Amino acid sequence: MSLLAVRGLVVRMGALEILRGVDLDLAAGEIVTVLGSNGVGKTTLMRAISGVYRPARGSIQFAGEEIAGLASHAIVARGIAQAPEGRQIFGAMTVAENLRLGAAVTRGADRAASLDRVLSLFPVLRERYHQRAGSLSGGEQQMLCIGRALMAQPKLLLMDEPSLGLAPKLVRQVFGLIAAIRAAGTPVLLVEQNAKAALAIADRAYVMDGGRIVLAGEAAALARDQRVRAAYLGGHVGV
Amino acid sequence: MFDRFDIFFVQQLVNGFSVGLVYALVAIGFTLIFGVLNVVNFAHGEIYMIGAYAGLLAILVLAPPWVALLLLVLAAGIAAGIALERAAFKPFRRFRDEASLKSKAMRESTLLSSLAISIVVRESVEKIFGADMQAIPRAYADAMQEPISLGELAVASGQIAILAAAVVMFATLQWILKRTDIGLSIRAVAANPLGAQYVGVHVDRTVIATFAIGSGMGAVAGLLIGLYQGTIFPAMGFAPGVKAFVAMVMGGLNSIPGAVLCAIVLGLAEAVATEFFGQGWADLVAYVFLVLTLVFFPTGLFGAGRERV
Ligand SMILES: Nc1ncnc2c1ncn2[C@@H]1O[C@H](COP(=O)(O)OP(=O)(O)O)[C@@H](O)[C@H]1O
Ligand SMILES: [Mg+2]
Repeated sequence: MSLLAVRGLVVRMGALEILRGVDLDLAAGEIVTVLGSNGVGKTTLMRAISGVYRPARGSIQFAGEEIAGLASHAIVARGIAQAPEGRQIFGAMTVAENLRLGAAVTRGADRAASLDRVLSLFPVLRERYHQRAGSLSGGEQQMLCIGRALMAQPKLLLMDEPSLGLAPKLVRQVFGLIAAIRAAGTPVLLVEQNAKAALAIADRAYVMDGGRIVLAGEAAALARDQRVRAAYLGGHVGV
Repeated sequence: MFDRFDIFFVQQLVNGFSVGLVYALVAIGFTLIFGVLNVVNFAHGEIYMIGAYAGLLAILVLAPPWVALLLLVLAAGIAAGIALERAAFKPFRRFRDEASLKSKAMRESTLLSSLAISIVVRESVEKIFGADMQAIPRAYADAMQEPISLGELAVASGQIAILAAAVVMFATLQWILKRTDIGLSIRAVAANPLGAQYVGVHVDRTVIATFAIGSGMGAVAGLLIGLYQGTIFPAMGFAPGVKAFVAMVMGGLNSIPGAVLCAIVLGLAEAVATEFFGQGWADLVAYVFLVLTLVFFPTGLFGAGRERV
């Protein structure tokens, strides 16, 4: 049974239909990636799952419970945290305060445990603990963004373009982290522009276009698919 | 140490300082609400008035000790603030995404709805209690006027009470904002409402808390100044509301320390203006400051780029 099951999801912005009936599944333990060019609706899908946007139609089931239409705080409380596009950290606050906000939905003892876990996963955040988040480098801010989401002890982590704007070495580090987070028991729904790296660590993948899912399958199979290679992997033969 | 003129002048500055503290207490509520929602709450002056009337009622009915009186008024202010938010602001906060939480449409509708509520509340109080100044029971009025001499200066006990209440409330507010979950949520929503939603901050509850805190402080300020100056009447919130608004603009719209500092400067400047030009001119000071700020420091005296709230 799926941990997350999205069915016929429609999101509108005024007269525009941004998501036009999206179906997506994610099982416990999986990394699932959503690929697609700019502007096809990936971020809108992630925001709808997190409750930032209210779906016009369709259903989102999480752990067997309908969550479509719930407020964002209620969804985080049910166990879905997100490292959003653009990071959305609180730049004028300290690293410590950002992490504490990530734990907004958890209680005292859990907080100390998550904080230990996050700081050992991201030693750099321990070093910068009392600095303003805005003074961190781009890579460090991305670590903070992911660490902040993990503070909620999520049952599912959503990540929207975590490697965007990072140097290649940091990109490898981020993908290593995603694998580590899954290995530690938290499944990940990953939106990425870096299709090659995403397909390499994902179990299954979806390709979006024009607000719809146009391709779905095993990540390895999609990585060999001619259409995917042409559109998202630069069309080179022999990956 | 001072000659006669100087003592009188310093005395005026002391008075100006305590008036400035009252403006500051009102300005904090304004600034908190502006920081979180990007809207001006036109009914904030009425909260100040409600604080004074609630305190007066408590005095007449219960004659409570001072601390109990202040706590009662704080509670009344919190209740009034929550009611105000539900009535005038919540209905216009229908949408969830970041664009609409601080949207222009919401700003304009809440400007009018809070103005409407302020008129209704003021007129209702006038209908019930009359438009005149209320008589304040001797025991409480006198307690505010006991002279306390500090060297050659004489301050009234009420000024000390205002100072003490202001210090306690500023300190409590800083503690709330820096140390508590709800304070952190308030800062998060003020700084980045979208980010706040992603981490699971309960935005609606945070907005209510903002109104509760700001209104509690405003109500206590209204009671203190009402008792101290003996001026409790339905329209008493207007002038301090204007001054607090000017202090907020001078401070940069969403900086609490900026607003507090500018409120005190405004109080002092009014005292100086009264001294040199007479009472009638003092009220002009705030408007002059407002115009000068808007022309020369459009982002406030301390510049942009600080943390909101
Ligand atoms: N708040 C909004 N109002 C109107 N259109 C929007 C809004 N957000 C996104 N869109 C539009 O929806 C489409 C999908 O956007 P998005 O989900 O951000 O795409 P992606 O993340 O795949 O790049 C884009 O065409 C974008 O212009
Ligand atoms: Mg996107």
